[in-house]
Amino acid sequence: MYWEENLETMNEGTLKEMQLKLVNQTLAKAVEAPFYRNISSKKLRTLDEIREIPFTRKQDLREHFPYGFLRTDLSEAVRLHSSSGTTGNPTVVFHTRTDIENWTNQVARCMYMIGVRPGDVFQNTMGYGLFTGGLGFHYGAEKIGALTIPIGPGNSKRQVWFMQTFGTTVVHILPSYALRLYSIFEEMNVDPKKDTQLKTFIIGSEPHSEELRREIEDLFGVKAYNSYGLSEVCGPGVGFECPYQKGIHLWEDYYYVEIIDPETGEVLPDGEEGELVLTTLQREAMPLLRYRTGDLTRVLPGKCECGRIHKRIERIKGRADDMLIINGVNIFPIQIEETIMRVPGVGKNYLIEVKTENFMDKLYVKVEVDKEIFEGTLAGLTGLQKKLTEELKAEITVTPTVQLVEPGTLPVWEGKAKRVQDLRSK
Amino acid sequence: MAYHLSIFVENRPGKLEKITKVLADNGINIRAISLASAGEFGVVKLLVNEGDRAFAALQEQNITVSKRRILVILLPDSPGAMYDLLVVLAEKNINLEDCYGFVVESKKQAAVVIEAEKYPLAEGVLKEKGYKLLSDQELAAI
Repeated sequence: MYWEENLETMNEGTLKEMQLKLVNQTLAKAVEAPFYRNISSKKLRTLDEIREIPFTRKQDLREHFPYGFLRTDLSEAVRLHSSSGTTGNPTVVFHTRTDIENWTNQVARCMYMIGVRPGDVFQNTMGYGLFTGGLGFHYGAEKIGALTIPIGPGNSKRQVWFMQTFGTTVVHILPSYALRLYSIFEEMNVDPKKDTQLKTFIIGSEPHSEELRREIEDLFGVKAYNSYGLSEVCGPGVGFECPYQKGIHLWEDYYYVEIIDPETGEVLPDGEEGELVLTTLQREAMPLLRYRTGDLTRVLPGKCECGRIHKRIERIKGRADDMLIINGVNIFPIQIEETIMRVPGVGKNYLIEVKTENFMDKLYVKVEVDKEIFEGTLAGLTGLQKKLTEELKAEITVTPTVQLVEPGTLPVWEGKAKRVQDLRSK
Repeated sequence: MAYHLSIFVENRPGKLEKITKVLADNGINIRAISLASAGEFGVVKLLVNEGDRAFAALQEQNITVSKRRILVILLPDSPGAMYDLLVVLAEKNINLEDCYGFVVESKKQAAVVIEAEKYPLAEGVLKEKGYKLLSDQELAAI
């Protein structure tokens, strides 16, 4: 039942000893990256001394784009992943061959933990490409020896057809898309419980409730496991639920885990809710020290019945910043704002609405027509709407519905937070 | 030379009402109105007796309005008159961007409003063919 029994079930003392050694190795590596060159590389005597190291923020990754965090020679890097955006602020992450192997191993450990074995048929409906969700699981599944179908997202009828035809047993899927897909099963008159071999769903990339998980399990007759990851430290595979489904184990031989008060930065004891902070312990190309994930959660106290030593966190409660997750894609309102600002014909005021439509997230962007530039034709307006839609899609990769409204009709607010209205059903 | 007002309007109840209220409050008379919709929004074209005053009043109410140059052509109010006019324009390969009309005097005279892409050419061709084009002053006097 363990992928790496000694690493998963070691005792606390061994883990701490290993972590201290790995933290010190990581510090020694990190100072070779331009961003960390002024950090003290003095060896830590205890893990608690890590608190003297300043936090690294997403903003730092953007501001030191593209090579500020790269510590190896570019020739040692074999892979690049990137967040959306082209306006100077995408988050770019490099991987050495060892980084990819470690990442693959983490995903394999996660999948093995929930029973994926050679002989399983794994259908990966996550996006391939710069987004880490697709490739991360792809390599993990292949490492285990499961037959891997890199089908990617969309084309729901084809998804169902593959599931039926090739006896898919394991599916990696966005929780919102799982509900949508069920409606396609109904439309096609296919009963997932009787007409397929489905047994396991891996759901992740977007926050979801326990109720939604249970609903997915009931609809498809599967066990659904919550997957946690972030592209800044690799992608999926950072944490995963074990068969007990009581929290997400974070792999502490790969990450040093802290929970902090997002306001004060103070480290909180286990059990208290705050922002998850991770220090990578084995990353080569881009070690990150005390990286603020922006994800709000808490460490669940006590040992897990599965016997693994690795800390468990509760499912993600939300974000410490204003990041939006739309059908699994991470978007910051600033990306939308900057795009609107550089398209002539619309005012500076805007409103972002996110709704649930047909089980999926739908993004609406409302902008005011600029009175001074309005030249009076319907073609001009539809052209403006199309241009904004295209520019936004290029920036955030999600296609929004752009709504043109009359000047002075959107509320005027200070700051970005209130310009975003999240009306999604939870 | 004549112009009408082109107004951006959201396709929601009460939006058009707000525009006509501004005109009513200012004692401005509407000669003709047309509306083109692209779903959630559209453009209203208004031909009024006092264009400058209407334009200022609408702007003051924060309404997105612009002036568009038009040709207002007098036609006999009889079958075939519109066809004859369009033959003249088509022969010169002149495309219409917008077009609407109204009756000036029943069974006698009608007016057609056009926005043409080749404005000076259109004006010249129509004058040459003997069509009467109305100026702002003449429009106001109708």
